[in-house]
Amino acid sequence: MGANLDDEESARPYIEGLVVREFSSLASNWRSTETAQIYLSRHEIPVIWDLDTRALVRHIRKVGALRGIVCTDGTPADQLIHETRKLPTMAGLELASRVSCEKRYEWTKGSIELTASPWREEMGEAVSEAEAQRFRVVAYDFGIKQNILRLLVDHNCGVTVVPARAKAEDVLELKPDGVFLSNGPGDPEPVTYAVQNIRHLMGRVPIFGICLGHQLCGLALGGRTFKLKFGHHGANHPVKNLLTQKVEITAQNHGFAVDPDSLPASDVEITHVNLNDHTNEGMRHRSLPLFSVQYHPEASPGPHDSHYLFRQFTDMMKETKLSNAFRRGLKR
Amino acid sequence: MPKRTDIKRILIIGSGPIVIGQACEFDYSGTQACKALRAEGYQVVLVNSNPATIMTDPEVADRTYIEPLTKDYVEQIIAQERPQALLPTVGGQTGLNLAVELAEGGVLEKYGVELIGASLRAIKVAEDRLWFKDACRKVGLDVPASALVNNVQDALRLADQLGYPVVIRPSFTLGGTGGSIAYNREEFAEAIAHALDTSPVHEALVEESVLGWKEFELEVMRDFRDNFVVVCSIENFDPMGIHTGDSITVAPAQTLTDKEYQRMRDAAAAVIREVGVETGGSNIQFAVQPETGRMVVIEMNPRVSRSSALASKATGFPIAKIAARLAVGMTLDEIPNDITRVTPSCFEPTIDYVVVKIPKWQFEKFSGADTTLGTQMKSVGEVMAIGRTFKEALQKGIRSLEPHTPWRAPADTPVSLLREKLSTPRPDRIRWLLVALERGLPPAEVCELTKIDPWFVRQMEDVVLLAKRAAGVTVGTVPHELLREAKRNGMSDEQLAQIWKTTPAAVRHQRAKARVAPVFKRVDTCAAEFESYTPYLYSTYEDEDEADPIAQPKIVILGSGPNRIGQGIEFDYCCCHASFALSEDDYETVMINCNPETVSTDYDTSDRLYFEPLTLEDVLAVIEREKPQGVIVQFGGQTPLNLALELKRNGVPIIGTAPESIDLAEDRRRFGRLLEELGIPQPRNGTALVPEEAVRVAGEIGLPVLVRPSYVLGGRAMVIAYDLNTVQEYVAQAALMGPARPVLIDQFLEEATEVDVDALADGDEVVIGGIMEHIEEAGVHSGDSSCVLPPVSLSPAVLDRIREYTKRLAQALQVVGLMNAQYAIQRDTVYVLEVNPRASRTVPYVSKATGVPLAKVAARLMTGRKLAEMNLPLTRTNGVAEIAVRDYYAVKSPVFPFNKFRGVDTILGPEMRSTGEVMGISKTFGQAFAKAQLAAAQRLPRKGTIFISVNDRDKKQLGALGRDLAALGFKLVATRGTAAALQAAGMEAEPVYKVNEGRPNIVDLIKTGKVDMIINTPLGRESFYDEKSIRRAAIRYNIPCITTLSAAQAAARGIRALHEHALEVAALQDLHGKRASTHR
Repeated sequence: MGANLDDEESARPYIEGLVVREFSSLASNWRSTETAQIYLSRHEIPVIWDLDTRALVRHIRKVGALRGIVCTDGTPADQLIHETRKLPTMAGLELASRVSCEKRYEWTKGSIELTASPWREEMGEAVSEAEAQRFRVVAYDFGIKQNILRLLVDHNCGVTVVPARAKAEDVLELKPDGVFLSNGPGDPEPVTYAVQNIRHLMGRVPIFGICLGHQLCGLALGGRTFKLKFGHHGANHPVKNLLTQKVEITAQNHGFAVDPDSLPASDVEITHVNLNDHTNEGMRHRSLPLFSVQYHPEASPGPHDSHYLFRQFTDMMKETKLSNAFRRGLKR
Repeated sequence: MPKRTDIKRILIIGSGPIVIGQACEFDYSGTQACKALRAEGYQVVLVNSNPATIMTDPEVADRTYIEPLTKDYVEQIIAQERPQALLPTVGGQTGLNLAVELAEGGVLEKYGVELIGASLRAIKVAEDRLWFKDACRKVGLDVPASALVNNVQDALRLADQLGYPVVIRPSFTLGGTGGSIAYNREEFAEAIAHALDTSPVHEALVEESVLGWKEFELEVMRDFRDNFVVVCSIENFDPMGIHTGDSITVAPAQTLTDKEYQRMRDAAAAVIREVGVETGGSNIQFAVQPETGRMVVIEMNPRVSRSSALASKATGFPIAKIAARLAVGMTLDEIPNDITRVTPSCFEPTIDYVVVKIPKWQFEKFSGADTTLGTQMKSVGEVMAIGRTFKEALQKGIRSLEPHTPWRAPADTPVSLLREKLSTPRPDRIRWLLVALERGLPPAEVCELTKIDPWFVRQMEDVVLLAKRAAGVTVGTVPHELLREAKRNGMSDEQLAQIWKTTPAAVRHQRAKARVAPVFKRVDTCAAEFESYTPYLYSTYEDEDEADPIAQPKIVILGSGPNRIGQGIEFDYCCCHASFALSEDDYETVMINCNPETVSTDYDTSDRLYFEPLTLEDVLAVIEREKPQGVIVQFGGQTPLNLALELKRNGVPIIGTAPESIDLAEDRRRFGRLLEELGIPQPRNGTALVPEEAVRVAGEIGLPVLVRPSYVLGGRAMVIAYDLNTVQEYVAQAALMGPARPVLIDQFLEEATEVDVDALADGDEVVIGGIMEHIEEAGVHSGDSSCVLPPVSLSPAVLDRIREYTKRLAQALQVVGLMNAQYAIQRDTVYVLEVNPRASRTVPYVSKATGVPLAKVAARLMTGRKLAEMNLPLTRTNGVAEIAVRDYYAVKSPVFPFNKFRGVDTILGPEMRSTGEVMGISKTFGQAFAKAQLAAAQRLPRKGTIFISVNDRDKKQLGALGRDLAALGFKLVATRGTAAALQAAGMEAEPVYKVNEGRPNIVDLIKTGKVDMIINTPLGRESFYDEKSIRRAAIRYNIPCITTLSAAQAAARGIRALHEHALEVAALQDLHGKRASTHR
């Protein structure tokens, strides 16, 4: 086990602390470059281990998500509780601009292949019809996971990542084939600048949103978001695609959700629902090229069942390109 | 998708007798499938030859057939029941193979039966090594590189390219004969030449070796809508090269990163889709090269398997139950998760604990067998343990094995021996691993020698270091934190007591003082994300307890632990029945067991399930938390009985027969005195601790004598001694083996008929449950003998005496519940051989034969109810009540694992070696016997040649048998002496050479298919080699081989029945009539 840099999802880990039942002090995987301890120390992330983590989970299940403090200096518990109570709650917290990149940048790396067979010649061709077309995607970084970028590259996209507060006009000037709205931390409601931008982009360019990006789309479309009791976290949430009736096992990590009843039914179609608690997991615009999902189709960690959404995005961009060309042709 | 309505009646094929590699996990899965399909409104027709299964209880299916699992019999059942569908995926390899045979033989088409759950094509692609590889390659997956060769030159070129070691598999040989691994060019050149010669088509597959790679399995499910989930990932602690059934395995996988795991998950989905398993569960195995991470697909099982049973128990996700529903067209999202109730089954369980499975081997039963572990499974059972960490689970697992006393290696073991113990995998390798680390062998070297992942070795090192720290203190001075840490890492009180040179009770006392006590956590499929409604629990040392016991009258049932020879599914059957009955009587039932294969560890079976080791410490912890009104120890075999007295001493309310009575029956001297008082004869006997005493005692008793250790089940290490030398050697050896426990010496009754009796008693009244006459004479272990109910050759007077003795014994021992008695009848004298006031191996068989569920009745008696209220169908003879026998015969026959142990003699004796049993039912004894033999894969011939070779004692009685066989049209061949005896009795018999007399000899005849049945009774030491090679050849070429004259006579009757009667099958529901429902 241990840590390796290939699997990083952002420039640095954003957790404040790690609580585990048992912490492995060993780096033994063929890909690991250092122990988890060294990796976390380097990023100054404290680890509490040997704790009854199941009791903690059950507590959170009962009372909902909680604020917490990690302390090693012996401060009395009641004082810590007092200090914890003064911490802001997630509700109303705008965090996206805090974790976003400062400057626009290009992303070119695709997914890494683990190990290929040394007997390649005897293996069948991996089924993948190369797409001749390339797409230009601008990705809003509200706290983006790098695997989203890798998958966009895998799907023949040239990606420009822009800061959370990048103006819609500036984005459109980059002449994108599509705009991607990333995941990110915090409450979507105070991220009003992004909602404004999305409203401006809607209809002008195909849009694909994930997680916070999905919630922001929900707000842009006139809906409401609300805070879940303890959110969805983990890599085993069953989500049903209402268009195909198929179930995907998905990775999730969100504390807020879009209220599907608040969305204008005439414009918005609910496409995905969580089978555990029936909360909204995805939607698309009935007439404009826009769709978004609440969960993490890029996974990493998590199952790859929902990778098809990236293809759906490129298909949508392809279609839009074609119809634009067609319209231009008509005009001529 | 809604379930199918075009199907009404579904046939399920069970897996038959318990054999190595196919045990009661298929009773668990089959029972689940039956229950699930009936709950959906389908009628279920079930066939299985194994009477000790829960699935063959008449209330589990609509129509239940205990018949041989052969094409002809199943076709007859299909003709009679006309099912529309056949579910072939819950009966192990046996069920799958039989379904393929029925499909390919046109039977399914003839009767319009549809295969559901797996198509014929999917089964064939998954099962054929080369087709499967092609399927994997087609979807871009990597497999071990291989190619077919037909000459040595090509083979060498290929092997050089692949690199050594390299695997060689000759084409079309029986059971993989001639296959091998070559570690270098020289070895390979020799091995490939041999392999090509062995192959009838002069062809062999040369394959890249994945020996020493990391091994993983994924348990996956898929439905008609192509929804796909991974239920569980399992990592083998032991690397590739050791059969997964013989490997310690861990769930979930511990050493994969997400990237690697997801790649495996994607591959599993691609495989199941390409192979075409449309619905149900599959098991897919992978190997990963540790240095490069290269992953190859090894194989898949397109059905529920041993691993899927383990995965179900490990996660709480009932794979077989859901697979059955998917087979009738339901989808995963339509089926609710039993445990959370609110969420669907279309999800992947999250595990917030670690599960470790450890196999149980019994090489001590098979002297001469190779104990090295390899690609052929040799273990007979397994335990599973749950802990919050790998260390805790591993240590709980080790103590779940029996004996569970911590094991110490001799301190002076040389390092060279340690290295050898690590590099050659044998059953005790896990213990040597700890020893090696304790002795300071560097972990890197341990990894190199064992190819076990460094992460696991580090975990074990942690355990060793902790034990060393503990050794620095005493039980009186241990700091609370260290005590808690030790317990949190899974160390048992016994282990700590050994470190501190004190008693487990003292450690327990210290724990109580320090308030270091276990809590119980739930297995809930979701790591506490949702509330769970099924109290499926395990102990651990944490802060929060979730047991949440209910204040309701409750009974705890102690299970029987890992399957062993002599203690297997029969006891689990009894435990389940106790639970069913008491649940019906409104008790809350609580099961404690550690065997993942069983029905008893299905969370559906009891109201509460504690998946815990059956040790005093672990059982007491549950009982202290649950505070039951009663604890049942007499259904789980010797395992719970061994705890009975200690539990009682700790104030545990044991119900049923008092532990003191059980103890009395085990104590030869006290029991002997009781028999004298009761005026019941027993063979002369005595006990001895040292060889000299043994010789004296044996002399007094008179030879031959039966010698055995005290307190055993399954006749472990018994011998019949015809001379004093053997007695002396035996006792000397026994003294070496363990602490001074006396050796028992009994007069051996030659040519006696043995009888087993199961009886019920309520403290006052006694009811005989069934009298079974053994087919083999006394001297063959009762578990290895075929037997028949009702008896066929006993006189009414003898039967009366047996009934009378049984009643007197049950009353004298104040039995409440079940009692088993074994008698030997020699010249009309009835001797008591043994009495066990507990459930016996024969209880399920008797219950199926009579239609009265004895274990259920017994459980009720133990709660204070009386026989008179049970409404049993009784007859009375001379004042002794007996469950009325029926108008058919039920024959039970054993099944042996000899094909797994090369070089082991197959002769039957006082040491039990059978792993399972089958039952044959018919109106005539002959046909019932023939059916039982067929079900046990001893296909009695209708015609042909029979080879006979018997000892001098048997020669005297050979006439009648010979005449019978000749009259049936058989040609007889015999060794010189036997041929002479036959000729003297007026029959024709062709003499044939013994192995050492010249050629062609008898083994040559067997190999060339010129013999259809063998009758070979043991001659004694001189001809030992000769006989053994005959019996081994019989196994290899699958020819029925009978080793006692009485069984040969029964076989003759069986063959006559095959001649005279058409094949007939009958459902238990018809045989039992209304009886099955009268007992409540």
